[in-house]
Amino acid sequence: MAQATLRHDETGDVPVLGPGHTYGTVTDKISSIVLTEPPRPGWIFGFAVSFVLLLMFLFAVLNLLVRGIGIWGVNVPIGWGFDIVNFVWWIGIGHAGTLISAILLLLRQDWRTSINRFAEAMTLFAVSCAGLYPLLHLGRPWLFYWLLPYPNTMALWPQWRSPLIFDVFAVSTYATVSLLFWYVGLIPDLATLRDRAKSRIGKVIYGFLAMGWRGSARHWHRYRTAYLLLAGLATPLVVSVHTIVALDFTVGIIPGWHTTIFPPYFVAGAIYSGFAMVLTLSIPLRSYYGLKDFITDKHLDNMAKVMLVTGLIVTYGYLMEAFMAWYGGNPYEEFMILKDRPTGPYAHTWWLLLLCNCTIVQLFWFRYFRTHPIWLWVISIVINIGMWLERYVIVVTSLHADFLPSSWGMYHGTIWDYMTYYGSIGLFLTLLFLFIRVLPVISITEMRELVHEVHERGHARGGPAVTPGTAHP
Amino acid sequence: MSSESIYQTHTRDALPPSAVPRIYGLMAEFLQPDQVVQAAKAAYAAGYRQMDAFSPMPVEGLAEAIGFRRNRLPLVVLIGGLTGAVTALFLQWFSAVVHYPIIVGGRPFASWPAFIPVTFELTVLFAAFGAVFGLLALNGLPRPHHPVFNSPNFALASRSRFFLCIQANDRHFDLDKTEQFLRALNPREITVVEA
Amino acid sequence: MSQPTPPPAPGSSDRIAPLATARSLAMAIGPPALALCIILMLIPPTRTVIYPAYLVGYVFWFGIALGGASLTMLHHLTGGTWGLLIRRPLEAAALTIIPLAILFVPLLFGLDVLYPWARAGGADEPLIAHKAGYLNPTAFALRAAFYFGLWILLAWLINRGTDRQDQTSDRAPSRSLARISAPGLGLVFLTATFAAIDWMMSLEPDWYSSIYGAMLITGWGLATFAAMTLVAAALRSQPELRPVARPRVFQDLASLMLAFVMLWAYTSFMQYLIIWSGNLSEEIPWYLRRSRGGWQLFVAILILFHFLAPFLLLLMRDLKRRADWLLGFSAAILGLHLIDTIWLILPAQVRDPLSPQVGLPILQLLLVLVATAGIGGLCVSFFLDRLARRPLMPLHDPAVDGLAHLRDDETDDQTEAYPAPAPTPRA
Repeated sequence: MAQATLRHDETGDVPVLGPGHTYGTVTDKISSIVLTEPPRPGWIFGFAVSFVLLLMFLFAVLNLLVRGIGIWGVNVPIGWGFDIVNFVWWIGIGHAGTLISAILLLLRQDWRTSINRFAEAMTLFAVSCAGLYPLLHLGRPWLFYWLLPYPNTMALWPQWRSPLIFDVFAVSTYATVSLLFWYVGLIPDLATLRDRAKSRIGKVIYGFLAMGWRGSARHWHRYRTAYLLLAGLATPLVVSVHTIVALDFTVGIIPGWHTTIFPPYFVAGAIYSGFAMVLTLSIPLRSYYGLKDFITDKHLDNMAKVMLVTGLIVTYGYLMEAFMAWYGGNPYEEFMILKDRPTGPYAHTWWLLLLCNCTIVQLFWFRYFRTHPIWLWVISIVINIGMWLERYVIVVTSLHADFLPSSWGMYHGTIWDYMTYYGSIGLFLTLLFLFIRVLPVISITEMRELVHEVHERGHARGGPAVTPGTAHP
Repeated sequence: MSSESIYQTHTRDALPPSAVPRIYGLMAEFLQPDQVVQAAKAAYAAGYRQMDAFSPMPVEGLAEAIGFRRNRLPLVVLIGGLTGAVTALFLQWFSAVVHYPIIVGGRPFASWPAFIPVTFELTVLFAAFGAVFGLLALNGLPRPHHPVFNSPNFALASRSRFFLCIQANDRHFDLDKTEQFLRALNPREITVVEA
Repeated sequence: MSQPTPPPAPGSSDRIAPLATARSLAMAIGPPALALCIILMLIPPTRTVIYPAYLVGYVFWFGIALGGASLTMLHHLTGGTWGLLIRRPLEAAALTIIPLAILFVPLLFGLDVLYPWARAGGADEPLIAHKAGYLNPTAFALRAAFYFGLWILLAWLINRGTDRQDQTSDRAPSRSLARISAPGLGLVFLTATFAAIDWMMSLEPDWYSSIYGAMLITGWGLATFAAMTLVAAALRSQPELRPVARPRVFQDLASLMLAFVMLWAYTSFMQYLIIWSGNLSEEIPWYLRRSRGGWQLFVAILILFHFLAPFLLLLMRDLKRRADWLLGFSAAILGLHLIDTIWLILPAQVRDPLSPQVGLPILQLLLVLVATAGIGGLCVSFFLDRLARRPLMPLHDPAVDGLAHLRDDETDDQTEAYPAPAPTPRA
């Protein structure tokens, strides 16, 4: 395995693939993590910690089912607490996967190749975590199907004007389409694993999932079309999902919620936190599994740039919200945005959110911070915290002090709120650790395409000609 | 694929069933993607039509080289999307205006602006179903076994090798002549694929 | 206008024949139309009808000037061959902010016609008094001076940088362009938002919407892409543009237009859905004014032809690759963008455009055309003059590297002059 010494070409750009790779080496390197390596101590430790958190989550949920959502801190006037904060936070994190896969594919950004599979998996797991919260919030989650439109004896239908019903459709569509997109991307890689698996059980399971894929040229042709069309569909879809989450707030006329900039800046914020999570996870992953040839410094740099852009959009959103609160002249809006949030009982969360989301990200103007993994990792965690706080500020402060001072109140998360929150991180990480062990974390197929492309370009420039097919017998 | 059954009946008519091993086709193995594209073009120019190429990743121009022209997948996706849009609009209009009209927030029964988000979601959902299930159906998958898997080196088609298979049911197929033809294309190896 | 002198030196503005023709046409239309506008502004009875019309025409061209600067900076940041084809038009369009800064001055004399807060006693209403510190003629003029100062500085910087880029194959000018582009783009976005609030939103000073700036900016982005695609399609047979005026690049431009059509529809619909759902008395009148008395016709046109038709047409790959088709399409988009601008501005003044009693609305719509032609004549001739002074394609942009790749992709394209792969002989 080559060291991560990256060859800089004449433009000073870092390449998106380390040197010396062939179709065979990328296949072997990526599939070996799944097929031949025994679990490493670090993996076992991480999995164990995550699993303990998951058990905590299950315990908290069991208690919730037995005793009801009164165990949470929510009550009149603050009916939405950690559950909705976490829902929005998780679904936001789930946005980077589809963004990386779909939008960057349409924009022909080849650096997406080595992170898209991983980011898509992250999307699926984050959306799974997100979807649980509204269901648990129902109080009687086993009656969730009441949300769906189906003819029933009560002749009741969903309330189509409510964004909460939009949410049911948006989140379930998003989860389904993300799963399909991910699976379609996996099919050829599953065929690779089927053909390379040593154990009988591996052959059978991967063979079953690969559905008999044999790499026929006709199949590839339709496959590419399907993949592009799915990307074209997923792009507006990903925008629509967080837009609808934003509508959950803006359609209500509560001060601090009813403002028109919410949809675009929620989408930007979602991408912001999603990229932060991709970095939080992929920086340790690439150093632990020696994937620095595939997830290069170029990827880190580009992701940091995307975070800078989305962070600035989020800041623009805050600014517009604050300006219009004053300009609009609505006293309730002005009180909420300009007085209660910066100086009220939740002021510390508001100031911390400005620090995390708007201030620290400005370091990404400097190349130094974009290319040093330790800095990137720390900043990405800070941004994850900041985006959680943003949702906390939006949900809790607006509800705690609305039009009538007699109906004001305070909210604090209980131990069960915290257990459910940290527990859902356990669920997320458990799924992610399992994914790393059983499926290729990087799309092997697309890495082969990248090898081909790098080879062609090297040829065109008269650079060192690597012949990608010949290195292995 | 219906073409394979044609092949089987054809050979059964022509030869006693036990006389020759049943042959699916001849498989040529290549190291580079451009080699297999050139080979496929040559085979097409030589009149071969019943053939297929196999590669570990999509290769630009390969499907066109073996004579693949019509890709009906976009049409399937379009139909899926339209179905979703019509379903959603009808569902919302029927339930909110016809079946159980109820005033909510002083809005009209047919609140078209509010119907748009759900319509959008269902359009995307059905279009995505069209893309994925259309892909599987047109490709004839899932299909657990296929004769090409009998080829000894074929496992490498999912790793690093490129294959061109000329099928025995092609009009011009002749075991010796086709093999000579393939040999001239400079493959790494040629194997006979049993049906 | 120009004498038929043939020397094709790169410094001369008459180097490229189609540009010279278009320029003399613009010069024939622009000054008389503008003179008519100025005269109408001076006559008391007509100044109430000319000022709104003038504002519409002004905002229409202003959006393209600002879009020129923004998209140039965007291209410095993202690269891509699409930018090579329209970079020079974009840079020239960015410079039209200079004539537009001068053309802004007449508006300052008509603030009382346009803006309720600038009228005598206008600030007595409590809601307006609340923001009188922001909405008053002095602050308005000072802010406008600041915006124009910044925009002119940026337009000058990107044009100077691109001249340097042309002179040397060194990457240093490209890098410094990228360095100013990142903060520059952010500043333009911010100042454009506040310009939209000042000049357009405050026409109805009791109304507010925080997405307004973003909505206007996406519309201007679309108009800019349409204008630039139109120029590129008209110049597609110029020898200088031969390497980039290719179907693949036109397809990219059309795809970017598609993205902006969707963004425009998204921001517009979101504002509508949120205000419609809230149904608050301080917000909904803005839409009520714009959906009755004939304005609903504009709404229908905008939904059908500013969103639905372009959206469907731009999904078709074959159309997007045809420069001749894109020429007409872009012109239509520009026309619809004018309708959009009218719909955003005029209902603040004109409540019943089709009401039979008053002939004024029809006159006002006609005056919009006069003002658009007047301001446009000057801007376009300035633009064409700047465009002709430089090579039509940037010479040493980093994106030029992508051209080799572009050629590979199009070997299967029958419309191009590249030879098809030689048929393999029968074995």
